[in-house]
Amino acid sequence: MKCINWWLIGLVWISSSALHAQGLLDELNAVTEEPTLPVRATFKDTRIVNVQSNETPAEGVLHFVIAHRFGTLSSGAYDLWGLDNAQMRMAFDYGITDGLAVGVARNTYQKTYEANVKARLLRQRTGPNAFPVSVTWYSVVMANGTRVVPEETPYPFTRRLSYVHQAVLARKMSERWSLALVPSFVHRNFAQESGEAHDLALLGVGGRYKLGPRFSVNGEYHHFLTQSFGDAFSPSLSLGVDIETGGHVFQLHITNARGMFERSFLAEPLGSWANGDLYFGFNLSRVFTVKS
Amino acid sequence: MNLMKTPRLGSLLALLFVGFAPDAGAQQFMTREGHVHFFSSTPIEDIEADNRQMSGLLDASTGDFAFQVQMRAFHFERALMEEHFNESYVESETYPKATFQGRIASWESIPKDGQQHEVVAEGEFDIHGVTQPHRIKGTVQWVDGAWKLQANFEVTLADHNIVIPAVVKDNISRIIGIDVEAQLLPR
Repeated sequence: MKCINWWLIGLVWISSSALHAQGLLDELNAVTEEPTLPVRATFKDTRIVNVQSNETPAEGVLHFVIAHRFGTLSSGAYDLWGLDNAQMRMAFDYGITDGLAVGVARNTYQKTYEANVKARLLRQRTGPNAFPVSVTWYSVVMANGTRVVPEETPYPFTRRLSYVHQAVLARKMSERWSLALVPSFVHRNFAQESGEAHDLALLGVGGRYKLGPRFSVNGEYHHFLTQSFGDAFSPSLSLGVDIETGGHVFQLHITNARGMFERSFLAEPLGSWANGDLYFGFNLSRVFTVKS
Repeated sequence: MNLMKTPRLGSLLALLFVGFAPDAGAQQFMTREGHVHFFSSTPIEDIEADNRQMSGLLDASTGDFAFQVQMRAFHFERALMEEHFNESYVESETYPKATFQGRIASWESIPKDGQQHEVVAEGEFDIHGVTQPHRIKGTVQWVDGAWKLQANFEVTLADHNIVIPAVVKDNISRIIGIDVEAQLLPR
């Protein structure tokens, strides 16, 4: 009996001293409120595949993107499955603040120029002041730069313009999963045929799943909510991967939309997943800290 | 109830409760705004970050302490560094906190004379979900009714399973220097 008592006393003494050290940390946890923190890195880059993600370049950061879309994969070995036939987009986006960016871009397709603004309106947060989603606004004006033939044909500049406005509602569901809901509105000043629509509303969904710390699979789809700009166009569907290496993000993808500016890839995708008229492409981004 | 009649076992149970009860007489000191600064220095690049939200408790009767920081509250000079730190290196979504708990050796002998006294803190350092025993040299100082604690130490990334990818291995040091500073006020 006596020996059991000493054994018990020893046990109590050991466990209480171990509890004491652990207890202080538990006590600290109990009295420290979890801070409200913004959710970061919902997506790796400012685009999911074609469409904008909720991410913007940080303040003072110049985000430079070179993107290519090649010819159709179905064009065969002679054109090296489209690689002989590249279209390019070159873009500069600059973060004025952590939640406001402006950008310019130039596309091969229709020699289109872009000017855009992207603003974070709300940010997903965790902690006592938690908020479930990030809401980001994106507006872009696009100008067709091709020459009119013959040159003297009257062609007012406003005809060249089209506009897209979008809200990106994004949520980082978990460390791996991020989802975005993207309602878009497209307006073109000029339609080839009279009676063709000038406006198009779409609802897009996009997402990513991280397979590793620097690697994710991405996808997006944009559904036409109103009459499309023509029978030749089908809704945009794209699948790809993000690979991150230091200051670069490589996005490689397959898409039925060859254009890389919003009006083109939202309203005018010419390819079709059913026929294999798909385009391989990449976005390659690099950030430069211009002002720290 | 029969058990309680045995005086020895009764006193043992009483002892057990005393052992678990919080020390009513213990005076605790606390901070919510301790400063942690860390740096990595390589010939290619210097990287540093600050966190001014370290919380900590010190039991002034024993020298026991516990500190913790939210990994996501570290601020870097460049946004991309902050993103890589959280996403790839410390994986702060999975391991949100770093903690250090232990005891300051020979605490009883430290006088409250306003001078800096060199001390050794021994405890368990947990970062990235890996706990390692650590001995840290630092100073303590009793100033205006508060304890000021300060320490510099080093952490080897590999000890805590923090993997730096090959492409940036020349940019990030294997060993990270850490400066900690806090003023703990009576609770």
